[in-house]
Amino acid sequence: MLETLLDGEIIGIITLTLRMTLLSTFIASAIGIPAGLMLERVDFAGKNLVVSVNRTLMASPPVVIGLVVYLLLMRRGPLGFMGLLFTFEAMVIAQVLLLIPIICGMVYTAAGRNAGRIRSFAVTMGANRLQTQFLLVRELSNEIYFAVITGFGRAMSEVGAIMIVGGNIRFHTRTMTTTISLLRNQGEIDQAIFLGAVLMLIALFVTLTTDFLRRREQRTDENF
Amino acid sequence: MKISNLRKSFDNFSLNIDRMETAQNRIYGVVGSNGCGKTTAMKLMAGLMKPDGGSINYDGLGPRDITMIFRKPYLLHDSVIRNLIYPLLVRGIKPDEQLLEHYLEISGLGEYRRQYAPGLSGGQQQKLSLVRAMIFSPKLIFADEAFSNMDIESVAFFENYILDRQKHNPATWVIVSHQLSNIRRLCDYVYFMYNGRVEAEGSTEDMLYRPGSDNLKRYLQFEGIETG
Ligand SMILES: Nc1ncnc2c1ncn2[C@@H]1O[C@H](COP(=O)(O)OP(=O)(O)OP(=O)(O)O)[C@@H](O)[C@H]1O
Ligand SMILES: [Mg+2]
Repeated sequence: MLETLLDGEIIGIITLTLRMTLLSTFIASAIGIPAGLMLERVDFAGKNLVVSVNRTLMASPPVVIGLVVYLLLMRRGPLGFMGLLFTFEAMVIAQVLLLIPIICGMVYTAAGRNAGRIRSFAVTMGANRLQTQFLLVRELSNEIYFAVITGFGRAMSEVGAIMIVGGNIRFHTRTMTTTISLLRNQGEIDQAIFLGAVLMLIALFVTLTTDFLRRREQRTDENF
Repeated sequence: MKISNLRKSFDNFSLNIDRMETAQNRIYGVVGSNGCGKTTAMKLMAGLMKPDGGSINYDGLGPRDITMIFRKPYLLHDSVIRNLIYPLLVRGIKPDEQLLEHYLEISGLGEYRRQYAPGLSGGQQQKLSLVRAMIFSPKLIFADEAFSNMDIESVAFFENYILDRQKHNPATWVIVSHQLSNIRRLCDYVYFMYNGRVEAEGSTEDMLYRPGSDNLKRYLQFEGIETG
């Protein structure tokens, strides 16, 4: 099996995994970041409930999300007509649903801690609404970055949900994690370890790259 | 600026300022013990907080003419120079090289211009925040213990600087300080707050040397100022 893995199938699996992870993280960030900022900003009856639900979803087991998406997408389910079950899209949908609460929740928490001060500062500087919003994102960029990376890591390592909605179909919806799981079932421990190591390397590479690209944040926690 | 019936309540505190007035380009002091409501009053006046009631008339000044400086300033997660030019960027003003140099020099931060601002010392942070508030020449400046971490020499320097600046680029200042020497050197008029209210007001001379109210006398007695 090692030969098959190395003769191109592995490249396909890695590419598929990366595509899925990046796309899910991107979509979930595009929704989760504004949602987290908005949640901090607005006040409405039932906000505490929304926050509690968010917290719960942050910790929800992926298989449950997978199951929900499965029930929605299965042929007799409400969205069955779209024929998305056991496709790349289905996996992305499950991942996005998994990541939104994580990213939203982390951004909300960071904003809750700092936004009041940043907004007050913006007023003293004469910033208008748009400038204030922009400032908020910029000043929270490290926290937002951390939320996105956390989401990315979660998407990358996730197996339960995509197994259910993707089906681990060879050349189609087989990702690195589902392959590792399969290899272990087949007793191919060496290859599972190999693939696991590649997975870790990719995660490390992505983190290092973004760390490098990101504006360097000096340590100030000892300046008190 | 004219304030009437300004009210704000928290769980254990309520602020109630019946009347407070500032004339253009004068320097006002606000003094009082910890927790008497000075910061709260300033935040309300600077538009950082919504009052529960009352009104503030700014005599035509807009949000961009008003600023507030804090004891613990908020500094952007960026360099000293970027902090300094931020209010100019907000206004679409291209920073003037000479102006920047001037403010870097008087704040003693010339060599630190590229340094990460939140990493500055407490006094340096206050200096940066003070010059950042002056660089766009606001017309109404609230300074809440803005000099508290500066060394004596720097405090004296900025006191003189502000007094001098009043001659060619004046602004209305409202200054909160626990250093009565600040108040004495800078202010034309002083408000004494007690328990969320303005308990006494008057010229700096009268307030510091001929205090009328008993609470003010008690507040001043530890300063070593001989009162009549
Ligand atoms: N956001 C807030 N929520 C609840 N209570 C507040 C809030 N802000 C201020 N207070 C209360 O209002 C009272 C006055 O606070 P304020 O900061 O105005 O005092 P101060 O006169 O500036 O004191 P200090 O000399 O210590 O700076 C305090 O009892 C404080 O606990
Ligand atoms: Mg205060």
